[in-house]
Amino acid sequence: MAGAAGATGARLSPQVDSLIRAAQRGDQDAFEQLVRAYDQSVLRLAMNLLRSPEDARDVYQEAFLRVYRNLDTFRFDCSFHTWLYRIVTNICLDQLRKRKVRKEEPAVVETSDGPIDRMESFEEDAAEADPERSMWNRQLKQRIEGALEDLTPRERMVFELRHYQGLRLRNIGEMLGTSEEAAKNCLFRATQKMRSVLGDFV
Amino acid sequence: MTCDSLAKLIPLYYYGELTPEEEDRLEEHLHECAGCERERERHRLLAAALDRRQQEVSPLLLEDCRDTLMAAIAGGATHAVAAKPAKGPWKLFLEAMGATLTGFHRYRQPVGALGLVAIGFFAARFIGTNPNTQSAQTASSAGDVFATVRNVEPDSAGRVRIAFDETRRRVVSGSMDDQNIQKLLLAAAHEENPAVRVESVGLLRSRSDSGEVRDALLNAVAHDSNAGVRLKALEGLKPLTGDAEVRNALAKVLLVDDNPAVRMQVVDLLVARRDDSVVGVLQNLVQKENNSGVRLKCEKALKDMNASIGTF
Repeated sequence: MAGAAGATGARLSPQVDSLIRAAQRGDQDAFEQLVRAYDQSVLRLAMNLLRSPEDARDVYQEAFLRVYRNLDTFRFDCSFHTWLYRIVTNICLDQLRKRKVRKEEPAVVETSDGPIDRMESFEEDAAEADPERSMWNRQLKQRIEGALEDLTPRERMVFELRHYQGLRLRNIGEMLGTSEEAAKNCLFRATQKMRSVLGDFV
Repeated sequence: MTCDSLAKLIPLYYYGELTPEEEDRLEEHLHECAGCERERERHRLLAAALDRRQQEVSPLLLEDCRDTLMAAIAGGATHAVAAKPAKGPWKLFLEAMGATLTGFHRYRQPVGALGLVAIGFFAARFIGTNPNTQSAQTASSAGDVFATVRNVEPDSAGRVRIAFDETRRRVVSGSMDDQNIQKLLLAAAHEENPAVRVESVGLLRSRSDSGEVRDALLNAVAHDSNAGVRLKALEGLKPLTGDAEVRNALAKVLLVDDNPAVRMQVVDLLVARRDDSVVGVLQNLVQKENNSGVRLKCEKALKDMNASIGTF
């Protein structure tokens, strides 16, 4: 089942198909299995976009409660992943529009069992070996955060889905209710903006 | 094509989003143009730098989310399968009649007759009191009426007297700053339906600066039977971890709550502020805690506070 979430845009596997049908009939175990097949990628998307475990938790709850309430409207005319991500991306876009995501969010990671920021651990390794390199990495990280915050919520979303979640632009367009061409333009604008902010670093 | 127009394709090339023709054209150009090849390399470096930013999801956070979701669902979040369109007054009335007469299937025909009599009763009542009321009742889609029949009494003339209670649904909307909305939410935080409580407490948590809301959140954390509601209430108490009363209440919850996700969150709240009294509470918890996640969290918190894990 772990591979189900990766089957982006593909036809539903018979296993997922039967889980959905059982959940539509009110089978709570089937619903839970369905959630478990997809929820890690949903939470990761929310964490990456909002940089806050609390906000990511809210997105997770709201998204899966909406799925629960509306599962009977799922008609198998697109992949379940696409249908789910329509819900998730809508909620995340609302959050991005409403909230000003704090720049220092990664610092809220309170313990070692909290989310791990790869950049942080990279910096720590580097700090021991080369303080100058560490300073450079810290500046780069700040620039990256700033560059990402400068993107419009839509550009941010397309970039996130393409770069970090590895989804195809055609699929992203389908999720966001737009064309592949529009998603392509969004991705292009996002990369251009980041290049202009990070130009002297890379 | 110029370097400028081809360079625009580089990000899409990196993501494998070019058509085969565009890809061929760009690759051909990259072989010949050192400037564009450098541009491609810079894009690769940018992508590599961005890769390092990705956050991994903690398994504990994931489990916590799952627990809260399933608690909310088990607690009564509405399932679409069960959520039928809003019932009209007549349907509710018939259902109430059906419920009152459960088991009397052989009286189906008489019940139907009662229903017909009831139509006459409603019409007479509405027209008899105020002719305008009838149109207001039928026109108002938000005015769902929930009827509970208290007494049915046939008379010798073939008519019937039915006594029933009516509960009328009203819809109000307003901002969270509206005192009336806050009062309704405070009342809703005690509703029987856990889904209503989860939503209400979730909304109230942003208003924890009000004493009344704070008390409601504390009450929910300590007494609500639904873990989803308790977790929402804990979120609302985050800004109040410096309040001695809140800390005392949380310390009690930590030792008695049966849900590990709740205990985890309480530990987070308590250790957010350095306070020696927390050390004793955490040491107690470590001794009796049977959930390894919570125990590890406590041990780590104690270690961070330079406190010993055991009591002596």
